[in-house]
Parts: sequence; C-alpha cells; structure tokens
Amino acid sequence: MVSGRRVLSMVYAVVVYLFLLAPILVILLSSLTTTNYIVFPPRGLTLRWYGELFAHHPEFISSLWLSIAVAVGTAVGCTVFGTLAALALHRYPVPGKGIWNALFASPLLIPSVVLGIALLQWYSTLGIAASSWSLIIGHFIIAFPYVVRLVMARLQEFQSSHVERAAANLGASPVQVFWKVTLPLIRSGMMAGAVFAFVTSFDDLTVALFVVSTDVQTLPVRLFNYMQYNYDPVVTAISSVMVLLSLVMMIAMERVIGIGQAFGVSKTHTTKRGTVHAH
Amino acid sequence: MLVYKRTYTWTTGGLLVLPAILVFTLFFVIPLLHVLLTSLHNYSQTSGVGDRWTTQNYAKFLRDPYYLGVLWRTIRISLVTTVVTLILGYPLAMVLAATKGRTRSWLILFLLAPLLVSMVIRAYGWVILLGTQGPVANLFHVLGLRTPTMLYTEFAIDLGMVHVFLAYMVLPILGSLENVDAAIVRAAANLGAGKWYTFRRVLLPLTLPGVSAGAVMVFSLTASSFVTPSILGGPRVPVMSELAYDQVVSVMNWPYGSAIGCILIVVTMLLLLIYAGVLRGRRGRTEGTVTSW
Repeated sequence: MVSGRRVLSMVYAVVVYLFLLAPILVILLSSLTTTNYIVFPPRGLTLRWYGELFAHHPEFISSLWLSIAVAVGTAVGCTVFGTLAALALHRYPVPGKGIWNALFASPLLIPSVVLGIALLQWYSTLGIAASSWSLIIGHFIIAFPYVVRLVMARLQEFQSSHVERAAANLGASPVQVFWKVTLPLIRSGMMAGAVFAFVTSFDDLTVALFVVSTDVQTLPVRLFNYMQYNYDPVVTAISSVMVLLSLVMMIAMERVIGIGQAFGVSKTHTTKRGTVHAH
Repeated sequence: MLVYKRTYTWTTGGLLVLPAILVFTLFFVIPLLHVLLTSLHNYSQTSGVGDRWTTQNYAKFLRDPYYLGVLWRTIRISLVTTVVTLILGYPLAMVLAATKGRTRSWLILFLLAPLLVSMVIRAYGWVILLGTQGPVANLFHVLGLRTPTMLYTEFAIDLGMVHVFLAYMVLPILGSLENVDAAIVRAAANLGAGKWYTFRRVLLPLTLPGVSAGAVMVFSLTASSFVTPSILGGPRVPVMSELAYDQVVSVMNWPYGSAIGCILIVVTMLLLLIYAGVLRGRRGRTEGTVTSW
C-alpha cells in the first residue's frame, strides 16, 4: 500500500515534469527538421538550420553578443552595488533603513511594462540613445532586489556567530575584516546574486523592448520581432542555441553553489527540529 | 568592543549604499513619477504629450466596456493561474518534501531548469504544440474529432502562465512543508485522524504561510506579465500590459499608455491588499479556535 502511494506520487511528478519540459524539448527537436517550415515531430534530421543561422543571420549573432555583454554588465553592477547596499543596510546605522529596503525591493511590485514605459519616456526626455548602457541600467533595476535579498540572507545567517566581532576585537581593521572574514562568508550569496542577475537580464524582453533601437537589439527582442513575421526553423535553431546556453548556466550554477541553494531550497532534508531530535 | 562599534558609523554606511540610491532615484523613482505625470496630461497629435492637465485618460478607461473587459481578463487569468498552480503545485511540493538524496536533487534541478530558459522560447514551444499543424491538433485529427482553436485564446495564455509560474508556487510551499514537524502529522494520525482530515486540519493550516507567499507571487507576476500573453494570446485576447505597450509603442499615445500602466499597478496592489486582509482575518479566526479549546 505504501509503495503503491509512492509509485503514484512518482508518476504524478513525472507527468508534471513532462509538462514543464515539453515546450523546450519541442523547440530543440523541431530545429532539426528538414522541412522549410516548423513541424513537430520533425521530418528527417539535419543541422542545416544552424548553418543557415550562422551564415545568413549575422543579426542574431550580434544580438547574442549584445545580450551576453548586457547580462555580464548587469551581473557585475548588481553584485558590486547590491553587496555594498546589503552590507550597509545590515551592518551600519544608516538613517532611513526601512525606506531603502522598501525601495530596493519595489521593482518586484512594478510591472516590467510600466518600467519599460518609464525608461522610454525618461531616456527620450534626457536624450539618451539606445546602447548597452541604457539596457544595463534597466536590467540593473529589475535584478537588484534579488541580489540584495540573497546577500542579505547570507549576512543574516552568520551574524549570530560573531566572527566579525571576534576578528575586530583581535585587532583586524575594518578593511581587513571585510576582505578576510565577511567577503569569504557571503561569497556564495554574491555568486547566486550574480547568476540571478545574469539570467534576469539575459531573459528580459519586456523592459528591453522599450529601450532598444533598430541597431541595438538584445536577442529576446530580435527573436520576438522575427517570430511575428516568420515561421521557419531558424527561430527554433537560435532558440536551441539559447537553451544550450541556459544549460551551461545551469551547470555552472549547480557546480558553484547548487541550484537549489540559489533559489533558497535546501538540498539536504534536515530541519532544525530534525537536528534537535538527533541530539 | 569599543573599536568595533566605532568603525560602523553611519557615514561609511551611507557611502556604501549611496550609489544604489542614486541609480534608483534617477532611473526608477523619477521615471515612474514622470509616468504618473504623463498620465495626467492630454494627448497631442503633434508632440505626443500635451501641456494640459487632465484626468480624462482615466475616465476614458473606466467608461469604456472594452478596456474594462481587458482589465477583467487580466484579473481572471491571474486568478486561474494562481488556483491551477496551487492545485498542481501542492502535491508536487509534497512529493519533493518526501523525497531524499539524489532523486531530490534531480527533481529540484529539473523544476528550476526551465526557469533559466527565456520566456520567449518557452512560449514559442507552446505555439508549436498548440498550433493548427501541431501535435495536439494532429491527435484530435487522428481521433476523428474536430480540432478546437487552442492558440491565440485565453486558454493558451492560462496554460503558458501555469507553465511559467508553477515553480514559484512549489518552492515556498516546499519551504513550509519542511518546517512542519513530522511528529505533529504522526500525532494527528495516532489520534485517529484520517489522511484527508489530517491534511485539511493539520498540514494545510501549518503550510498556509508558504501557500500565501506563493499565491501572492504568482498572482502579481501573472497580472503584470507581458511576454507569455502577447505570444500565446496575441492581439485577439489582449491583457493590460499589452494594451499599455500598444498605446505607447504603436499608437504613440503616451498619456493613455501611462494611465493604463498606473491603473495596472493600482489594481494589482489593491487586490494584494484585499488578499492580505482576507488572510489576516482567517488567521485570526483559526487562532481563536485554538485558544478556545
């Protein structure tokens, strides 16, 4: 009976996972079709559309590089300024702490479309043209809450151990305390934040749609515009390239920090109560 | 001790947080206030934003059944997505909570992996699956049934949204489930409570914080999404964010587009406040029953 329930729950999990993976598998497989239009299941197997993509669609490749550059810029900016802000708000008696905490979390409550409209109007008022910088600023805003939250969580975790205080009492200067104690302890939070910021930027279509110009287009924007008028396997080929890149990101994330940890899920199944019982 | 205290001054702290505050003020707060101001201006054919102050943009929205219909559709899609992700996600979270070791790592990995794939691509996968030549349509054909229109309908949007946001519901519930002391569940069973009764009276109330965190997140993310509804729904079934996008980018009516954006923010926040209120009321009641024992 127990094993029956177990089987049932596993079957359920498998069905849900098939649902989650279905559209991605469909994209990957239909990029291999020999037909001139997208069809699933694919007919025949060919890498022709990848050749087509690299030979005849340089705009996709340049958009890919732009997307990577913007995502790296966003990750670096968010991690540096996010870590500093988290440190300040957690450790220092900064006036107006509640306001700043709320401010840095608020992009989560503002629809990306509204932020896009806001930046479009503001950039045109200031006369700022579309560039990787104007994109990085927009992505900085939407990714910042995650970075602050992740670093803050790490700071809170080791606060009770008083290691910083111990180091300071033993004569370390504040700069030494930061480099030798604090930084190594919050590094995993910063890494997770950087990966999150990269992914947020790389995936963003909505904000970028308002900021881009005809020459400066990130890959999601290029793809979105191309999809409106074309139904050929080039779309699925470039999409598959993006999926493979995401896969690389995922493996990197798993290696560096453990993907579960990055999203706030513990890998092992030990609750605090469990440990108490074990004593 | 004294040294430690003296080094953490508010001037240093202020300097550390200042860059972020500056960027946020310049590229978040001011632009949003600018949107609010734009929404209170008239539309001019020549310059886009006129110089007359007016609340006419809001009146236009609230008087037109078409626009109110779009607002209602947006709310409806968000509610459906929240409920369906909850129904699908809670059992999945229970499965995950009951799994250990390597299987658990793999299950979590595959739950989160799709989140790293661009939403544009995931939506496009559904376009292929639901299209008139797609595998689902073929299945209907083979079975000799009339193929229903699936793509560019509200159903397609619901499906895509559930797909995108399921993990956002599962994770907080999983977190709550892991904090539940297994002994309490065992105690309920020992005291003779059936499986369903234990779930309803013990497990569900204990995991309510996770459920509400997930629900709030899924609801507000769905209400404000743009990518999934515009690819899977298209112009035939627009939602609020598409309406705002169209007004700003295609019609070039910035005041009206800004007003729609502001309405979207106000409506989602209001619904979340109501939701928080309902939740607080319910929690008060359950606490009441516990103490009245």
